[in-house]
Amino acid sequence: MIVPQDQFVAARHRDWDELEQLLTRAVAMDKQDGFVISRIGSRYRSVCNDLAHAESAGYTPDLMAFLHSLAGRTHNLLYGAQPIRFMSALRFVLVEFPVALRKNWKLFALACALFLVPYAVGLVGAMTSREFAESVLPLPSIEQLEQAYAEGFSRGRETGQDTAMTGFYVFNNVGIAFRCFATGVIFGLGSIFFLVYNGLTIGAVTGWIMNAGHGANIWTFMCGHGPFEIIAIFISGGAGLQMGHALVATDGLTRFGSVRRYTRDITAQVAGAAVMLFIAAGIEGFWSPSSVPDQVKWIVGGVNLVIVVGFLAFAGRGAAKA
Amino acid sequence: MGKPRLAQPLDTTTEVETPEHVRFRYHVAGPGRRVFAYAIDLGIRALILLAFVIVAYVGGFAVDSIDASTGLVLIVWFALEWFYYVFWEALWSGRTPGKRALALRVLSDTGHPLRLGQSFLRNLLRAVDFWPMFHPSPIAAPALELPTYGVGIVSMSRDGRFRRLGDLVAGTMVVVEARAFVERALVIHPPPSARELASLPHRLPLSGDELDAVEVFLRREHKLPPARAHELAEMIAPTFGARIGIGSIQDPVRFLKVLYARARGIPAAPEHPQHHTPPPGPYGQHHQPVPFGSAGWRPPAPQGHWGPR
Repeated sequence: MIVPQDQFVAARHRDWDELEQLLTRAVAMDKQDGFVISRIGSRYRSVCNDLAHAESAGYTPDLMAFLHSLAGRTHNLLYGAQPIRFMSALRFVLVEFPVALRKNWKLFALACALFLVPYAVGLVGAMTSREFAESVLPLPSIEQLEQAYAEGFSRGRETGQDTAMTGFYVFNNVGIAFRCFATGVIFGLGSIFFLVYNGLTIGAVTGWIMNAGHGANIWTFMCGHGPFEIIAIFISGGAGLQMGHALVATDGLTRFGSVRRYTRDITAQVAGAAVMLFIAAGIEGFWSPSSVPDQVKWIVGGVNLVIVVGFLAFAGRGAAKA
Repeated sequence: MGKPRLAQPLDTTTEVETPEHVRFRYHVAGPGRRVFAYAIDLGIRALILLAFVIVAYVGGFAVDSIDASTGLVLIVWFALEWFYYVFWEALWSGRTPGKRALALRVLSDTGHPLRLGQSFLRNLLRAVDFWPMFHPSPIAAPALELPTYGVGIVSMSRDGRFRRLGDLVAGTMVVVEARAFVERALVIHPPPSARELASLPHRLPLSGDELDAVEVFLRREHKLPPARAHELAEMIAPTFGARIGIGSIQDPVRFLKVLYARARGIPAAPEHPQHHTPPPGPYGQHHQPVPFGSAGWRPPAPQGHWGPR
């Protein structure tokens, strides 16, 4: 039996008013007391009922819009975002991240090659010809970098400067890694560009500085944070390539539907890379330029490399099967 | 049967089905609202950064360590650039201060709440959506370049749910959560006479959608110039007329009004003894409105506008 709209509204609007009042108070659900929560729950169910009834009765569009809006807002309050649990975030980075990376190992390897081959070209090119280096980077920037590494770090730096440089590394390097990933949405082309471009320029700078006779300084500087920083950039580039590849190899899905198959893996890789880059920025700001003897820096660099490679290769192997 | 029926209405709404098997519709947010929300968030980010710059450098001068201040400001800037949206969307389940001000919410495109990973991903992809960058002046520092969101707007205009690339990759959408209001019942003026109503069959061959369209038209009819209202009504009135065997319609607007009154069961105006009944004839031939004055016409009891507006 279809109730006329006016009767329906007259009979039900008290509940809607009440729910509307509860919604306008809307603090997060976990801050409400139990009475209010159960009240919202029961009113939500009755509004869902009303909505189904109104839909079949063919009431006016304004009433339908009102009920849809009321039900929608209550739904979003009741089913608010899941709380972020520290343990699950930790698991995401410590377990899901290395597992997702190993699943994507082919494109990760491709990302490594896309950086390392231009790096070698830049390095060799800059060591053999100054013109090559000057064509890759403007001369003033190279000379500025050369001066920075000319002195070495045997005397250390002021702590204020360390903080400034850490800030700069976070801002710049993590930004590079994020961009390296995000631009993969252009069918992977952006990731390819940023990997090749950074490989070539960093290679050219290294080559130039080695040519100038400060090779030991720059390598000693880089060995501590390099394992974290460079590998993190490969990882985010690899995640960008995975996104680009999914856009092309759709297996009959829509392009973005195809990408969404890998959303969780991609997110794990980028989040893991971000954590690695924060660690790298701390090392690069405070440890790498410190006055610690070179031998110690090299040992620590080697240990870091073992930690990173070991973590990425073995972490989460047991959990992956679960 | 001519054209295939659209499975979904051609509108900026999207339907989701909840775990309770209730379906409801959301209005997806278009670029207009989202630009305003973005502008508010941009302003807030600028103010936070400015506050940090002032505090950090005043403090830095006091302890004579400007370098540390620069480091701090860069870290804050980085956090505002990449994590401002993630922070708020996680805290307020899909809303930032700007989105809240414009009653927007980010949801998973299944209608479920936004997850942290999705928020992280959709906001990373801003780095592509906000291309190309606009440089207000050629000498300005790179810090002063402004995002145009050209890529995002192209992506939104290609998608039925106005999703930018970040939304498409993360599987999210932005919906409007504005409150809707039940309006006062539509008043047909002058009210339909018994005669007018009797000229239409009891059961009208109209679908619910068609009736809704008529109502939407009648609600804005008084805002339209009469000629335009006539023109619009004329586009549909003959179609409805043909279904119930009315060939010529003189006044399509009036026809739709009576049609609506008939379909919604609005009662005929009470017959006034002094009043002569309108002349007989085919539908819609009274050019003069029936002179029911305020004495003879009683508006239906108001039923809308509950709750605070």
